[in-house]
Amino acid sequence: MAMTFLSRRPDSGLGNIGSSPGDPSRNVDWVLLVTQGLLTVIGCFVVYSASWTTIPGDPYSFVTRQVVFAIAGGVVMVTIMSIDYEWFKERAAFLYGTTIMLLVLLLLMGVAQNLDRITFDLGPINFQPAEMAKFTTLIALSVFLAEGRSDEVSYPRFLVGLILVGAPAALIIAQPDLGSASVIVTIAMGVLLVAGAKPRYIGAITMLAVSTVAATFVSGFVNNYQKERLRVFVGQEANEDSVYQVRNAIRAVGTGGVWGVGWLDGPLTNGRYVPVMWADFPFAAVGEQFGLVGCSLLLGLFVVALMRIWRIATLSRDLLGTYLCAGVFTMLLWQVFQNVGMTLGIMPVTGLPLPFISYGGSSLLTYFAMFGLVQSVHMRRMR
Amino acid sequence: MAVDRRASRLGVLAILGVVLFSLLGARLWFLQTVKADELQQSVTISRTRSVRLAPERGRIFDVKGRILADNERILTVAVDWQMLRRKSQRDEIFTRLSGWVQVPVEAMHERFDRQIDSPFLPFPIKQDIDEPTAIAILERVEDFPGVEIVVEWRRIYPYAPHASHVIGYMGAITAEQLDTRLEAGYLRNERVGQFGVERSMEAELHGVWGEKVIEVDAANRPVRVISEVLPINGRDVQLTIDLEVQQYTEQAVETTLELRRTQTGPNPIVKKPDGTRERMDLTKGESVFFKAPAGSTVVLNYLTGEVIAMASYPTFDNRWFEAGLSSNKFKQIFPVTEDPDKSILVNRAIQGRYNMGSTFKPFTAFAALNTGLITSSEIFTDVGSYQLYSVDQTKCRSGLVRCVYKNATCGGTGLPCVYGDVILEEALAVSSDAFFYRIGEDILERNGGLPILQEQVKLFGFGADSGIELPFEFDGTVPDRELKRIYAERGVISADEGKGYFVGDNVQLAIGQGLLSATPLHLANGYATIANRGFLLQPTIVRAIWNPGVPDGKPGFADLEQGTIYEDLSEPTLIHQISMPDDIRDPILHGLQRVIYGPGVVSDYPHKTTGEHLFLNYPRGEEAIPLAGKTGTAQGAYNYPWNDSSVFTGFSTDDTRPYVVTAYLEKAGYGSQAAAPVVKCTFLALSGIAPMDPVELSEPLDLAATVSAPSLELDLATRQYCYQSKFGDGVQTQVREVE
Repeated sequence: MAMTFLSRRPDSGLGNIGSSPGDPSRNVDWVLLVTQGLLTVIGCFVVYSASWTTIPGDPYSFVTRQVVFAIAGGVVMVTIMSIDYEWFKERAAFLYGTTIMLLVLLLLMGVAQNLDRITFDLGPINFQPAEMAKFTTLIALSVFLAEGRSDEVSYPRFLVGLILVGAPAALIIAQPDLGSASVIVTIAMGVLLVAGAKPRYIGAITMLAVSTVAATFVSGFVNNYQKERLRVFVGQEANEDSVYQVRNAIRAVGTGGVWGVGWLDGPLTNGRYVPVMWADFPFAAVGEQFGLVGCSLLLGLFVVALMRIWRIATLSRDLLGTYLCAGVFTMLLWQVFQNVGMTLGIMPVTGLPLPFISYGGSSLLTYFAMFGLVQSVHMRRMR
Repeated sequence: MAVDRRASRLGVLAILGVVLFSLLGARLWFLQTVKADELQQSVTISRTRSVRLAPERGRIFDVKGRILADNERILTVAVDWQMLRRKSQRDEIFTRLSGWVQVPVEAMHERFDRQIDSPFLPFPIKQDIDEPTAIAILERVEDFPGVEIVVEWRRIYPYAPHASHVIGYMGAITAEQLDTRLEAGYLRNERVGQFGVERSMEAELHGVWGEKVIEVDAANRPVRVISEVLPINGRDVQLTIDLEVQQYTEQAVETTLELRRTQTGPNPIVKKPDGTRERMDLTKGESVFFKAPAGSTVVLNYLTGEVIAMASYPTFDNRWFEAGLSSNKFKQIFPVTEDPDKSILVNRAIQGRYNMGSTFKPFTAFAALNTGLITSSEIFTDVGSYQLYSVDQTKCRSGLVRCVYKNATCGGTGLPCVYGDVILEEALAVSSDAFFYRIGEDILERNGGLPILQEQVKLFGFGADSGIELPFEFDGTVPDRELKRIYAERGVISADEGKGYFVGDNVQLAIGQGLLSATPLHLANGYATIANRGFLLQPTIVRAIWNPGVPDGKPGFADLEQGTIYEDLSEPTLIHQISMPDDIRDPILHGLQRVIYGPGVVSDYPHKTTGEHLFLNYPRGEEAIPLAGKTGTAQGAYNYPWNDSSVFTGFSTDDTRPYVVTAYLEKAGYGSQAAAPVVKCTFLALSGIAPMDPVELSEPLDLAATVSAPSLELDLATRQYCYQSKFGDGVQTQVREVE
């Protein structure tokens, strides 16, 4: 309840001496934190190796920004960690409402300017409401379902939950940013599953998501370029560019072999054979330079992170914490699988980034926030 | 309780995670171990770009260094294939380039879709752009990713249309040639020599492609050069042709043919088997214009075998083959025809399948003397016809076998000429058929049916590849049992005819008719062997192969002084030597000299020799090349006089000016009427008496023209040297009489 920004009680004196074992500050999941830190650092190196040849004379251009985002992400994360996640319960409606408003505003601006708008351009920073929506929708849905205090999701509750997820998802599809929309839907599915939704509810939401995409596609609501991306997204038609990207990504991974060709020695990576590799295909850069060993280690770190989040979900003191962790778990699992799978040619090409590794401030900030939330659940599991 | 169910649902998530990560792990393992090598290979290919570097084709010179075939540097706008792989990019590049090079985008797409261009060279957008456009494009290279300006070569023929049949032309590699060419390192869409020296000397002229292998990044920007092998330019070929003489012979042939078309042959009244008399061709009048559609001439050096000139009419301008004609335009210039009279892309001097007529008689004479069949002083009485003695007279009377062979008719009388008592020398001079019919029968009968005549004439190169460095040469035929069998199988002659080789066949062969066929070059080379006392040389058209880099001299010439020879081919190639002692050669030579200079023989009335009249005004002094020669008239369809082809070969009897000149003019009348004037005219020019026009560089090709080559007639001043004698005056070598 308390508006605590620091996890110490005001009366505990100086330092941690007097703090109890249940004190949040003593319950940070260090394994998860270190794993996350490793992933972020590896991400910076990967971004550097995938982008250093892009702008002649300025090899650090991308990685510098990535480091700045990582630091910013750290600040956001610590802030969220310091807040008891219960705090969001009362503000869930407000946050959610704000998000919807921003999304509507963005859409209206887009219509007015006859442009596809995904970001608010705020000087040097591009603010993407869709990223915010991932976070707020997770909270809103989890809070709403946790209020039910039931092992099963009733039909009315499911319907409302569906609307909660559907509204931002629809607005984001309209932007159009299918990748983000799919993440929101994935989060929702994870939360609903753990909250006890019947399999047919999960089936229904899947159907709904697919038909929404189909409807958008058929209605001609989006322009041709987007249509093409849509087709690619549903794997209906191989876009020449993405086929080219994927073919070279697979080659890069394959030529890495078991041990990789070495740091900054990847000819396909250096030769920019995979367009926008630093954002879309960082895993290919890892594959080429560090081979099977490097890839396994990286995937291993994700596994560790997932295991820790899963563990926190089981340790949570309440349903809300469990739901939040389940949402983050599903989101991370889905994005890693989707991005790496796409790099290895077993999933269709979408713009979904590889968490912590891909270049991009929005993704990084969102994940830092999400992990902050998970840590918050862990830190306060004792109370 | 609640917690348990929550845990079990979380378990579902965990299982999902395990499954998905297992999938990734399995795929990763597969790619990085099982498929690693295969992927490595595909990467190596896609990361390097190989650019072929074109060799400059060797040039072709005449004997004096005139540049008959040269190369012009042209600039081509081309785009790297890598940049065109993606449709969107392709559209963009084509659209951007379209305005600059004036090629519609659709045309580019169409060409791209046809996939006819070599993958080893950038995709050509437009050939032959001007320098300013090239520079403008290069200055905006960022706007045109992957666009290159490629330097290419185009074949030019500075003296076209002269010697087009000899020089030849270039063309696409045909389907049949493709495999061998590719093995030899050619590119699929290259142009190669397809005719003439361009074809026969392709191996020297072509050179060797170079190759540059560059490592490139994804945007196709070169990273570094991995290897570079420079092209080896083709070697230059110097011909034995003297273009001045070449031009002159071309003019002489064309002028004579033109002239003959204004003249007529008789449509004589003949006696039918039933005793009635009527015109040979009932559809035509008293006389019929000669068609004179085609002809050729060869000028040979009999001491070296070198071809100094080789003209074939109708001729063509070989620049048409480099003009990028549409197929319709090409068909207009070179109409597809079944009529051999109209064939243009045929070098008649080496491809013509001709009867030789009486010009063949010296070789029969040699056979008779050389095998001891007759002596030079043996008298034969020519009564105007010859009756076979070896055929059963009952067969003769039955009409199943032809036993009587008549001489050609003598002018005006309509009856066969009668030359009376003649010796070999005289028989050649007046072209007595009966004399040679007799040899034809005797040489077969007295040798027990063995093909002695065939063996003897083959010594002069008949019926064999001459070995000249030109493609599509006709080897000729000397008839024998085997040839007749083959012809009967192919249906050329009736099965009955093909049963054996009969005395009648040999009689025909003796006077150069029947199934004997040869080219003008064969004939010229046979005479050269007589002229040089028995040395059968391989005729040649290539004097030397020069190393690349012979510099240009004065306009139109290469400076041979500054070049280096790669291979000197000026040494004559002896095929074999024929023993030709004077007692054999002299009677033949004297006969052939009498053809030119007379006198003839007197029998029923005085008969002039076949060339005497025409050569009456040929100078007898030092300045003119002293000559010997022989006329011939090869009969054509239905034996109509206007279908006679005119043949003449003359040779110098002065070894310091060792020329043989053969002319063969199709459907142009008696040997003395068309071919002989060409030969006479050519010798006057070779003697320096008749002026030869200077050779000039040609005007640009008139692309609006509808004919294959402009007219090349002699000017009026020169003509008087050739045609001062009347045509059609008592000179007859008609060989198969009309029945």
